[in-house]
Amino acid sequence: MKLKGMAAVGVGAVLALCSFSLWRGLHPAVDFNTQIKPIFNKNCIACHGGVKKASDFSLLFRQEAFAPAKSGHAAIIPGDADGSELIRRLTLTDPTERMPLNAPPLPAHEVKLLRDWVEQGAEWGDHWAFQSPEKPRLPTIGTLWSRLGLARHPETNWATNGIDHFVLETLREKNLTPSPLATKPTLLRRLSLDLTGLPPTEADLRTYLADTTATATESVVDRLLASNAYGEKWAGMWLDLARYADTKGYERDPGRSIWRYRDYLIRAFNADKPYDQFLTEQLAGDLLPQPTDEQLVATGFHRNTMNNDEGGTQDEEFRVAAVIDRVNTTWDVFQGTTFACVQCHSHPYDPFRHEDYYRYMAFFNNARDEDVTTDTPTLRFYHGPDSVALARLAAYVRQAVPDPRQAPAQVRRVVAMARTLEPKINSHSFDQHVNAALLDAKFFGIRHQGSARIGPLNFTGQTRLYVAWGSSVAGAQLAFHLNKPDGPVLTTATVPQTGSEWNDSVQVLTVPKLTGKRAIYLTLNSPAHPNAWVMLKWVSFQAALPAPAEAILVDLLNKNPDQTPIMLDGTGNLARKTHVFRRGSWLTPGAEVTPDVPGTLPPMDVPGQTLPRNRLGLAQWMTRPNHPLTARVAVNRIWEQLFGTGLVETLEDMGTQGSQTAHRDLLDWLAVTFVEDDHWRMKKLLKRLVLSSTYRQQSTTTPALLAADPTNRFLARGPRVRLSAEQVRDQALALSGLLSRKLYGPGVMPVQPGGIWQSPYNGEAWVLAQGEDRHRRAIYTYWKRTAPYPSMLTFDSPSREFCQVRRLRTNTPLQALVTLNDPVYMEAAQALARYMASQSNVPDQQLGAGLRRLTGQNPTPAKRAVLSQLYRNAETYYAQHPAEARNLLAPAPPTPRLAALTLAANAMLNLDEVLTNQ
Amino acid sequence: MNALDHELRHAIGQRDTRRHFLQTCSTGLGMMALGSFLGGCNGFGSNTPPTATAPPGAAPTATDLNAQLAQFAPKAKRIIYLHMAGSPSQLELFDHKPELQKYSGKDCPQELLAGKKFAFIQGTPKLLGSTARFAQHGQSGAWISDYMPHLQTIADELTFIKSMHTDQFNHAPAQLLMHTGSARLGRPSIGAWVTYGLGSENDNLPGFMVLASGGKQPDAGKSVWGSGFLPSVYQGVQCRTDGDPVLYVTDPAGMPRSLRQQTIEAINEVNRQEYQTAQDPEILTRVAQYELAFRMQVSVPDAMAISGEPQHILDAYGVDPAKGSFARNCLLARRLAERGVRFIQLFDWGWDTHGTSLDTSLDMGLQAKCRETDQAVAALIRDLKQRGMLEDTLVVWGGEFGRTPMQENRNGQTQAYFGRDHHPEAFTMFMAGGGTKPGLTYGQTDPLGYYAVADKVHIHDFQATLLHLLGFDHTRFTYPFQGRPFRLTDVAGKVVKGVLA
Repeated sequence: MKLKGMAAVGVGAVLALCSFSLWRGLHPAVDFNTQIKPIFNKNCIACHGGVKKASDFSLLFRQEAFAPAKSGHAAIIPGDADGSELIRRLTLTDPTERMPLNAPPLPAHEVKLLRDWVEQGAEWGDHWAFQSPEKPRLPTIGTLWSRLGLARHPETNWATNGIDHFVLETLREKNLTPSPLATKPTLLRRLSLDLTGLPPTEADLRTYLADTTATATESVVDRLLASNAYGEKWAGMWLDLARYADTKGYERDPGRSIWRYRDYLIRAFNADKPYDQFLTEQLAGDLLPQPTDEQLVATGFHRNTMNNDEGGTQDEEFRVAAVIDRVNTTWDVFQGTTFACVQCHSHPYDPFRHEDYYRYMAFFNNARDEDVTTDTPTLRFYHGPDSVALARLAAYVRQAVPDPRQAPAQVRRVVAMARTLEPKINSHSFDQHVNAALLDAKFFGIRHQGSARIGPLNFTGQTRLYVAWGSSVAGAQLAFHLNKPDGPVLTTATVPQTGSEWNDSVQVLTVPKLTGKRAIYLTLNSPAHPNAWVMLKWVSFQAALPAPAEAILVDLLNKNPDQTPIMLDGTGNLARKTHVFRRGSWLTPGAEVTPDVPGTLPPMDVPGQTLPRNRLGLAQWMTRPNHPLTARVAVNRIWEQLFGTGLVETLEDMGTQGSQTAHRDLLDWLAVTFVEDDHWRMKKLLKRLVLSSTYRQQSTTTPALLAADPTNRFLARGPRVRLSAEQVRDQALALSGLLSRKLYGPGVMPVQPGGIWQSPYNGEAWVLAQGEDRHRRAIYTYWKRTAPYPSMLTFDSPSREFCQVRRLRTNTPLQALVTLNDPVYMEAAQALARYMASQSNVPDQQLGAGLRRLTGQNPTPAKRAVLSQLYRNAETYYAQHPAEARNLLAPAPPTPRLAALTLAANAMLNLDEVLTNQ
Repeated sequence: MNALDHELRHAIGQRDTRRHFLQTCSTGLGMMALGSFLGGCNGFGSNTPPTATAPPGAAPTATDLNAQLAQFAPKAKRIIYLHMAGSPSQLELFDHKPELQKYSGKDCPQELLAGKKFAFIQGTPKLLGSTARFAQHGQSGAWISDYMPHLQTIADELTFIKSMHTDQFNHAPAQLLMHTGSARLGRPSIGAWVTYGLGSENDNLPGFMVLASGGKQPDAGKSVWGSGFLPSVYQGVQCRTDGDPVLYVTDPAGMPRSLRQQTIEAINEVNRQEYQTAQDPEILTRVAQYELAFRMQVSVPDAMAISGEPQHILDAYGVDPAKGSFARNCLLARRLAERGVRFIQLFDWGWDTHGTSLDTSLDMGLQAKCRETDQAVAALIRDLKQRGMLEDTLVVWGGEFGRTPMQENRNGQTQAYFGRDHHPEAFTMFMAGGGTKPGLTYGQTDPLGYYAVADKVHIHDFQATLLHLLGFDHTRFTYPFQGRPFRLTDVAGKVVKGVLA
């Protein structure tokens, strides 16, 4: 019986196997990701997804799709299409039952695909981009003999490196062939603009043309990658991602000094800082052991969030807005995933849950910046005697610590206070106001007989109270009480008269030793000036220091040195809890959550490595070599910078709603190579990309190729892309010889039309830069969020209020007006005209010299004829109208010939081949 | 279908940036957009049939402004939106509250304050009756105060909504909510949406133009006319009072028109040669854009040249042609509307009457703002009507929120002047023309003017109504971004049927 039974099972299994493979042969395997998920996303998921779950049925997560729905039955029964409600509902005739509801029925072939998928076992698949990339095998090209070098074959002749293997494979499938390589002048210009953002000089071209060795191009690439301009170019790209600006944004949009972060980027790119380290420093430099200034400045990445100084706005609301922006930006920039929608509900298309958002937000929610107008915490840079004082402060503290093993930590704590003003309690958190208020909704103000509460907080072991305060009047007495407004007095002090309550002075007061969690109340006695305000900006309870050290510290705290915003986390009293926000609103907190990453992605803890649940742990998780997204997103972005379009076009979305890519294997190969072979070094990756034959193809096309591949998805030709906003400006200055090569420093204000800056309330003005600062690279132009440099916006720069992952290129008449009429471009035309005049006395040769400088090539006769005609007409005109020549060339002395050359230069700087990287 | 059309369909089908245009509406309206790219489907609004077709693979251009996605027959072809930045007091202008007068100077009832947040009011403020005198005007009997004597004379042209309310009580977020449907930055403005959907009626002018007065930009900055995630070609183009009317539209000194024309012809000739070798269709687009730029250099100054207006028109608006002013901008708005600009956005700064100074007082400061603007608004509406343009031009007037029925007591202190704080619970806006019901007062507030109580209209309802008048179903007029379709009205909004003619 037993045997018989087993035999029956066995036979059954064999039969099942046979029938399965037989069936399999007739019905090719259906792939969930490429065939089924798109049908779900298009037709079903709006009602059965992350936002709505009609009938409790959702197709977003495997467990939900296979779980019993409202009916009590599972809609999908693997292996049984006929028994699956999902399939039945697709084919009904009753329109109230047939799915998709209120929409045309699915086409027969899609129903069949779904049926086959269920029959084949309804195997669920995770989206490719959420699984670790594996290095694909290089496609073979050419023939065995050509690969061995024993015969010639067009494919093996053409290919330079692995990239070309993948591209050739795609081209073969599409019946396309690659284009010839670009000429040396074209390639040199392309390389120079792509790698450094600047055009090549004529000397560069001469050197390149003269170098006939096989490594000529590689030498050029090495030179470009080693130039300072390289870091400026790539930092420029990063500024959009970091939403870098020189102002704080929102209504008042006042200045913010955070240019050191921009300079960090330039240095990091130039030093070829490995991308994993680059990422870690920006997300969590402050949490690295004993962080350097450079690592702290790097955290400016997430201090580029906006700060709202508008009167009446609540700091907490905009603190939360900044934290949310950090979450969204981290995903946009490093993970290429649209996480923002999970703020309000589960992701409509990708497998992320609502709670995932807030678990992730918890990594960022401990930051000490709280939308206060002072933009703290900042890193303060003391110079001269102040830096000496800082060293003395450290020495005093070190000497005073009895246990030398504890000295370094003590010194770090005190130096951190001097350099970052943290830890401190911002006065907007004081509550129980009596005759007190948040003045302009910013800082705490109190008047005669007023009171308010601090805490309750744990003040154990702290006997010093640092307070930043001020008043317009003398004699106001502020008392600190324990437990209640009329409780025991801890200390009383006279508030310094600082001219206005808005000016503060930092003082240190001694308080008795406290234990445990206590509330402290402050009361004001100022009978002589009952209507005058006393303002407190912050208080900080600290351990005592040796008297001289305390004096130095207070002195330093009262300085106003250069500073740059940084990230710092609060601990102890200043640590925050994170809650889910129901429907995404900070006013409706739900369950408390702790920091973690979404379950769809690999876990933070793996055998052998447990990561801290803070930003540093997050960065370490993101930079694990097998992280599904980090390297893919990075190489896709760099590809886009060179080719104009990403391998996945939607840089911001590698999720299931992102663009389909024709080059997934290539993307994965590049991503794995970037991590394993290049050790995250961008210069190595760039070198591989730009030395590939794919990149070096000429960009000219043919009607046939254009018809077959209008947007160059398949890469049968080289990239041909309009220059970026920065490049348009930098190139005009470089070609005309005006460009300053000064590196680094605060933003500069080049020529800008009047009336662009009209901020309410704030007297800041555009003060025209002097000397070479007028002609710096665009990356150094002062960026005001509510009124960015106009020509940059016209050429598709974002306003940098938020991270923008990708610029959409437009082609508009306003762009033409910029390069035709903007004084910057007229100045460039004048300078270019002077250059042409210096090259020859013969107009045609002058024009030829100009065009060679602009394009690296001798002009065709037809082109020169057009410009010669323009030149001659202009010369005739200006000979007859000397006043007009004077106007055109002012302040230089006019001649008709120079005026005509200027006009020709203006035209040349507007040529498509000049504005385009081809 | 010729070869170019074929290429174009192919290009649009493949290009993900283009995909956005195609998927605008899930119901297949994308195909209408495609039609307009192809130079067909010229059913609505366009005086000039699209001449150039977008070449395959090309970036969005101004020519794409003929997108024409209207979903049903529109009543309005264009909007002139007059935004009084800072927010005028409805209680001084339109919302007549005799009861409030009675209780003026008394403490505000606690039940109106419990759980409320104000920008500046603290503790218990005093109620404040109107500083203006009210009377009913016209056949319709609309309440308009003596601050707006000119508006009184056209009362029967206006449609008042007294029951507006918003979610925001600070300027910048409230202005963003009003113009982009979201209090946070990053969304396209209504003008960008409308231009994206309807394109321009005039190939030689931008479809969305902005005029600012009052000495400052609106608090929320240029984002209130930004294109958000829509391509930048849809952002508002600001006309300036000083210098170039549009940035860089004027030729450089020493460059006569004839030489500018020859320069552009030379550039385009070389570019056409370039196209012969490179075959990149983007080059042809650039040629077209340079031609358009040249035409704009004429058409923009022409539109802005009010010197040609007869004296009686200048007088009617109260315009001093030499000076930038709101009145001048009203006249310019009419000129731009005549020329087919789709969305004309005016901002006038200085309506934030907190009573902290004479300029921001309700009696003096607000009256002065009214004197600067009242005549011009009335003249604009009358002028449009006389030209037969009011039928299909929607004029909108309002601020970003209302003002409190209480005297402001900033920092717990009495202000030196009569002033009111920001108030999101109730405010008044009015419209004229463009398919609205003239001589109507819609909605009402409670006797103290604190809450909108009857026929409440939220910002999103108002936006849905504007889009409806232009021929859009606001729920279907969407744009995919970051993995989901976005729309002006976010996830809310109901068309206010009661105000439709």
